[in-house]
Amino acid sequence: MEPMETLSEADIKKSLKNFIKENFLLGNDSNLKDDDSFMGKGIVDSTGILEVVSFVEDAFNIKIDDEELLPENLDSINQLGNFIKKKLNK
Amino acid sequence: MLLHESLENSSKQYPDKIAVVYQKERITYSELDRRSNAVAGYLTEKGFKKGERVALLLENSPEYISSFFGILKAGGVVVPLNTQMVDRELTVILSDCSPKFIIKKTGIEKNRDCPRFLGTVPIFSSDLAMIIYTSGTTGKPKGVMLSHANLNANADSIVKYLNLSASDRMMVILPFYYSYGTSLLTTHIKAGATLVLDNRFLYPNVILETMEREGVTAFAGVPSHYSILLRKSALRNYKLDKIRYVTQAGGAMALAMIKEFQNLFPQINFYVMYGQTEACARLTYLEPESLSKKMGSIGKAIPGVELDVLDEAGQKVNPGEIGEIVARGANIMLGYWNSPEETEKVLKKEGLWTGDLAKIDEDGFIYLVSRKKEMIKSGANRISPLEIEEVVCRMPGILECAAVGMPDEILGEAIKLCVVKNGVDMNERDVLLFCKQNLALYKLPKVVEFRDSLPKTSTGKIRRNELV
Repeated sequence: MEPMETLSEADIKKSLKNFIKENFLLGNDSNLKDDDSFMGKGIVDSTGILEVVSFVEDAFNIKIDDEELLPENLDSINQLGNFIKKKLNK
Repeated sequence: MLLHESLENSSKQYPDKIAVVYQKERITYSELDRRSNAVAGYLTEKGFKKGERVALLLENSPEYISSFFGILKAGGVVVPLNTQMVDRELTVILSDCSPKFIIKKTGIEKNRDCPRFLGTVPIFSSDLAMIIYTSGTTGKPKGVMLSHANLNANADSIVKYLNLSASDRMMVILPFYYSYGTSLLTTHIKAGATLVLDNRFLYPNVILETMEREGVTAFAGVPSHYSILLRKSALRNYKLDKIRYVTQAGGAMALAMIKEFQNLFPQINFYVMYGQTEACARLTYLEPESLSKKMGSIGKAIPGVELDVLDEAGQKVNPGEIGEIVARGANIMLGYWNSPEETEKVLKKEGLWTGDLAKIDEDGFIYLVSRKKEMIKSGANRISPLEIEEVVCRMPGILECAAVGMPDEILGEAIKLCVVKNGVDMNERDVLLFCKQNLALYKLPKVVEFRDSLPKTSTGKIRRNELV
């Protein structure tokens, strides 16, 4: 497997989209756009977002601090993708 | 007194005081009153008549509040709806209460010049003010009918024991469509206090930021809110020194969690409370001073309510024995909408039989033991296992199924669904997908387990406790 740092943002987003699709949309992703707000569209609830966080921590081997649990980091495929990419490059 | 008169009174007493904070909006009492007049005027112009229902399908917002009071001023009955419901669930409720209007999005209240609304018909405190739907044990939601007098009595009592005043600023994250949320609305408007609304608890740090920025003096939540704040937020980094008290209702909170909160915020009064929609909201509270001595208790009756713990024959149980909580008071509902049979089962000569089993100690403090009715309590939601089972059984290839609550660290209980299939090829995902099309997100099972059969008693009743 490639080292995490070389993952492209597109790869990261693809993996996130798969996770959301499998776990929250149950395979039905026809309407999920990369900038759809999880909160605004009611895609995940408050325990769901915690599942997203644990997935991201495990899959990308990063630690998300309590302070970072904010919509600007987590609330869409795009925001999560950017956030993970930044964390991996630190 | 009529419920909307509390808004009119606060508007007279504190016209320029901020009643509602929502995102960048700051709405004064006089403006809120004017907006509610505009809603009442609009409804009346459209031919709305006293006693007709208006369904409110709005998240917490200034529009929700002006619509709520506007409907009441026009003599209407507010039916708040859970905004997470899917079409199937909405259809069940709307066909039961047949509202004249459904308010989904508003704007009518902002553009109209309505300093006053002169009602066309007299409204009495015994008139119906709200129907709040709760999940019933039969699987079909029941419409709890609450009069102006019911809601007013409960609000007065809560204002008194929490010592609410115009200087309070309540952080509202609980949806108004639940009775706990409704009680925040009615009590704070009555007290001339400020409601700070924020619906983004999905990201608890955002709420903490709002709390700090707005200098809130109080917070209300169910156990899962506290566990998320304590375990999954940056709670310790925020300056929350203006908070006077917090309240917790909606199911038993782990004692360790209460202690952890108290250790972190020793200066904040922690109120444990208990109630049900059939009582508007509240039946008991435990004074913060008694919390350590009576840990695990839901306290005693609130002012204006009488409570007994009775055996099946209607006799008071001795201290330490288990019985059912029965309540009397001006806050007890009129009955269930369109359902005299269901009403008769709970409203009897002794009062409202709550379905909650409890013990009482020598000092009169009440301790909940369990619910008589099989309901799943997950986060802020009460969920009927039967409703889930009825939906799942409609899926082709399902022989039988049972939904049970399983312990969950954050939610208190999460839903486990045990399924017996009829030889066809299906997996967990197929079942969940079917559920998702027919049930709101919070009713989705967390675990689906396929079994060869369900354990049953000799009379054929499912042994639910063996499935957890």
